[in-house]
Amino acid sequence: MFNAKDFIKNTVGLLKKNIRGKALIAFSGGVDSTVTSVLVNRAIGDRLIAVHVDTGYMRKNESSEVRQLMDDLSLNYRFVDASKDFYEALKGVVDPEEKRKIIGAKFINIFEKVAEEEKIKYLIQGTIAPDWIESGDGLRDTIKSHHNVGGLPKDMKLSLIEPLYDLYKDEVRKLARELKLKISEKQPFPGPGLAIRIIGEATAERTKIVREACYIVENEIENSVEKGIMEKPWQYFAVLVPVKTVGVQGDKRAYGNIIAVRAVQSIDAMTCAYSEIPQEVLDRISTKITNNLGDKINRIVYDITNKPPATVEWE
Amino acid sequence: MVKIFVIDNGGQWTHREWRTLRDLDVQTKILPNTTDFEYLLNQEVNGLVLSGGSPRIGLTDKLGKCSDYLEKADFPILGICAGHQFMARFFGGEVKPSKIPEFGKIEIFILKDKIKLFEGVPKKSIVWESHNDEVTIIPEEFELLAESNTCKIQAMHHRTKPLFGLQFHPEVEHTVYGEKIFKNFIRMCEK
Repeated sequence: MFNAKDFIKNTVGLLKKNIRGKALIAFSGGVDSTVTSVLVNRAIGDRLIAVHVDTGYMRKNESSEVRQLMDDLSLNYRFVDASKDFYEALKGVVDPEEKRKIIGAKFINIFEKVAEEEKIKYLIQGTIAPDWIESGDGLRDTIKSHHNVGGLPKDMKLSLIEPLYDLYKDEVRKLARELKLKISEKQPFPGPGLAIRIIGEATAERTKIVREACYIVENEIENSVEKGIMEKPWQYFAVLVPVKTVGVQGDKRAYGNIIAVRAVQSIDAMTCAYSEIPQEVLDRISTKITNNLGDKINRIVYDITNKPPATVEWE
Repeated sequence: MVKIFVIDNGGQWTHREWRTLRDLDVQTKILPNTTDFEYLLNQEVNGLVLSGGSPRIGLTDKLGKCSDYLEKADFPILGICAGHQFMARFFGGEVKPSKIPEFGKIEIFILKDKIKLFEGVPKKSIVWESHNDEVTIIPEEFELLAESNTCKIQAMHHRTKPLFGLQFHPEVEHTVYGEKIFKNFIRMCEK
């Protein structure tokens, strides 16, 4: 059985031995990258530089919360606001794989720039098993290119270190609990962020809409879990489907987009069952989204597909 | 400690098979399907799992050296999905594209009593599937063990050798008795 204490001890020992000089970690503030940072930080202290990139596709308040987290962990960090760059790079891009690859490459560009300035030799990532399994290789089909695997250039100068490579999320959470990190139960959020929760072109305007919808879904579900009305899903969010349907709002014809609500149960994301959200919670989500987003959204649907045949995220 | 290796045919859940075995305190690792049988003998393995595969390889592909293992091994082998389909083809059965491919949650029915692999598993249970092809004719030396409404050959075993084939995936979390099936397989490898 997986033993968190042993894993921490062995990994910190190995990192201490193997890292000479400075290292950079891609820090999103999720469970994987936070656990990885703490392990590497224990091994090499301030020689580790955490870099958080605000891609413009983060959730509401997320980047400021991540900054707080890096402060709380006393990490030596850099905060890069690259939202304009990302919006620009994704202009006119609709293919999900293309989106993921562009975003992955942009991340690496930023990391390489920081690495050059700071004379860093190692890139550390919180990659876990499903990331590289689903990204595919010579043998396996590509289900989706995870940004931290599919975007890596072949001629990258930085040496890659991925201490959690063989682990699944439930095991990383065990490490987080052992390390007493308050983000241990935080739901997963994909590296490409809201860009892959917008079907089609991920414009700044659409991002605002899906960000608000995600915020409402998260709030309503978290409140209901706290009240004991429902079990906590593995992941829960909104997807913007830019297809127009007809509605009526205040005696006036409406013609707006669709928001799909997605929530699934899983322990490792390799298989998932859609969550049974109680009717009253769905009801509150539906009313809140349509009332808050006015003429932009006039229809809410609930995704009732398992994985397989679907995946958790829509892109 | 019992030693069971996972032969990687390129499935999405190969690593999950490795993890299930490791969690059950088995000494395990993932090996490419091009590994020589002699290497397995030198390693003194007690059993093998033949993983599922990348798209459609169960239908016609040779799956590396899997035929060597099936021909020469005297230890138990568990074929999963493409591994199961290949086992059927190797022993003279037939694999064809499914009329109704199964993805996700499916109910299966165990058809035989007193099968060691299914000890402690109820007659009806929920399993997770992901296949476009299936075994349509079971080899003569094999016996049918389980079916679902949309796929008639969900599980089979060799009548005299410790060879087992499963169309569904016991290694994933949502297959309710998956861990139980692995435990039964491990017990057979221990002997």
